[in-house]
Amino acid sequence: MLVFHKRKRKKKRNLGEVELNLTAMLDMAFQLLAFFVLTFKPAPVEGQISLHMPPAHPTTNINAGQKAGADENNKNPLQGLNTLTITVTGDRAGNIDKMYVGTASIANLAVLESQLQRQLGDPGTGFDQVIIQVGSTLQYQGLMQVVDVCTKIKMPDGSNLSKMSFVELPSGSGM
Amino acid sequence: MSASMSHAASAEPNLTPILDMVFQLITFFMLVINFRAQAMDLHLQLPVLGSARPVKPGPADTDVLLLNINSSGQLTVYGHSQELGPYIKSEAEKRLKSDPTLQPGDPLHATIALRADQATPFSLLNRVIKTCQENGFQKFLLKAMNKKEG
Repeated sequence: MLVFHKRKRKKKRNLGEVELNLTAMLDMAFQLLAFFVLTFKPAPVEGQISLHMPPAHPTTNINAGQKAGADENNKNPLQGLNTLTITVTGDRAGNIDKMYVGTASIANLAVLESQLQRQLGDPGTGFDQVIIQVGSTLQYQGLMQVVDVCTKIKMPDGSNLSKMSFVELPSGSGM
Repeated sequence: MSASMSHAASAEPNLTPILDMVFQLITFFMLVINFRAQAMDLHLQLPVLGSARPVKPGPADTDVLLLNINSSGQLTVYGHSQELGPYIKSEAEKRLKSDPTLQPGDPLHATIALRADQATPFSLLNRVIKTCQENGFQKFLLKAMNKKEG
């Protein structure tokens, strides 16, 4: 009885067997593939520098400033001031022309890095942010080179410098 | 004679493996397609910095406003030129409306991703940064490449 049933089922399957025509589906799949291949444009891998930039205004650590001002023996006029000023001017081609940290002239980016590390990495100076005064003709490439140096600087707490602001120098001011 | 030959030559190839392969390719392209690239103006030449490294976006970087600035200071968003002031203002207003805890004048949580051409003079770039700051944006991502393209 059981054998009979099995035979019957097999016959039924053979009768109902269908062959799907995959050609149309393949056509559609190839069209989709062509679309994706033609529109595929890999995005360039870009780096980025993350900055916190509130509107630029130099700030003074009031407590430190008062303490420094009350000390008659204090000969450091910068004590209490927690903003370091960097000045960068551009030449006619838009490249970096001159650089200053405070009023000290800086020869190149390597010197700038060591100077900034000395001033910002020292917990005694109290600097925690930077204002970059930028000549109006300096191009973005030159500015980013300076910003790149600044973001490499390690602060006394071990973090990298990220608080900086930009101020535009009036055109024609060559320091 | 010819009828019998054509009958002998007829073959039905099994299309299932090729269909499988095509679907796998489609799946691959669907997965790697990046709609963010549409927002980028790929004509811009970004500044080249050796230390610029791609950073994985964190949870705080979900709201990023991408601004493309060409060397003449023109703002482009999704391939369309935009007026800087009104565009930034409208984007700031959108974010103020979406977050009821924010009051006008409060710093916004959104980040500005600045893709500026390397030849953009600072005077033009500063106009963009100032406009963003005046509208409450304080977090910035300055985009750069770590090597020259091409």
